[in-house]
Amino acid sequence: MDSTIDFKNNDDLAFFGKVNASISHELKNILAIISEAAGLLQDLTAMAAKGQKIELEMLNTCSQDIVEEIQRGFTTIRQMNTFSHSVDAPLKSVNLIDVLDLMINLVGFLSFAGKVRFDPPPDEAAMILTCPFRLQNLVYHTFVFAFKSVGADGEIQVAVHREPNGSARIAFSGLGTKGGLPFPSQETKNIATSIGAEIRMADDSRTVEILVTQLGEDSDYTQRHN
Amino acid sequence: MKVLLVDDERKFAAMLAKRLVLRGIDIDYVYTGEEAIVKAGTQRYDVAILDVKMPGIGGIELERKLKELDPCLKTIFLTGHGSKTDFEAGSAEATCYLAKPIQIDELLTILREVAG
Repeated sequence: MDSTIDFKNNDDLAFFGKVNASISHELKNILAIISEAAGLLQDLTAMAAKGQKIELEMLNTCSQDIVEEIQRGFTTIRQMNTFSHSVDAPLKSVNLIDVLDLMINLVGFLSFAGKVRFDPPPDEAAMILTCPFRLQNLVYHTFVFAFKSVGADGEIQVAVHREPNGSARIAFSGLGTKGGLPFPSQETKNIATSIGAEIRMADDSRTVEILVTQLGEDSDYTQRHN
Repeated sequence: MKVLLVDDERKFAAMLAKRLVLRGIDIDYVYTGEEAIVKAGTQRYDVAILDVKMPGIGGIELERKLKELDPCLKTIFLTGHGSKTDFEAGSAEATCYLAKPIQIDELLTILREVAG
């Protein structure tokens, strides 16, 4: 067994690391708010001990902020947990609504993330047999490009369409022109190809589509992972 | 000493500002780089406390813009990251940086040091 890991050129590992770094940043922000709220409560307590007048409303606001941030922390940890477990199975039936919701939340931790309008299809139209982790990788990279293309104040639209052959098409539309680099890159195309999917930019450069194929028993990917 | 705090985490900015006010610091706070540039155009500040990662104009770019308005302005960066990565890639003129969550006494000491 090769004892070295090519970290730089390992797209899966790079994606996993990037997402975990953004989650840790989010958790630090949450803890920073809790820390300031607790510090302010200490300040107010010290003032009260000296007989100084304090505003009860401020005590209430601090306590409420702590409760809200703890809840935000739990939500973030739940998302981190779901993401971490996406590597458990190389092939799994996933709900595209869940995948998109999770990626919208995770990419939302990035400072340049804008708004997303997502009209989910019915649940039964969103199930697909694929590699959950690689699909997330594709969706995440597409969101990053899409947000950069519209800027922090922009909004993109996401929709899922079922194709007659059982595959699903995820469309990212409303893209802008600020992105810079051509998309999709060869690396991104390779990720798509590895799971039998396809990613393409529409001719007007305003829409990116990911065509996700059902990975049946006879697909190359399934054969490799069985 | 007049201080400007810029952080897109609204609750964090409001509470940190309140705690500094309780310690006698004259401070204004805003949530975006764009708002900070407007503020700095109408008011002179001795020190700016800037979050590194913000939507729109980030802390490092903001420092450059604020220094164009006032070359004497001192800067303290706040970061949610635990490393110096952001700073090695960015500003060489930054007075210093603090990782979140911050210690209020440490921030006070640095504020007084950089303000002279």
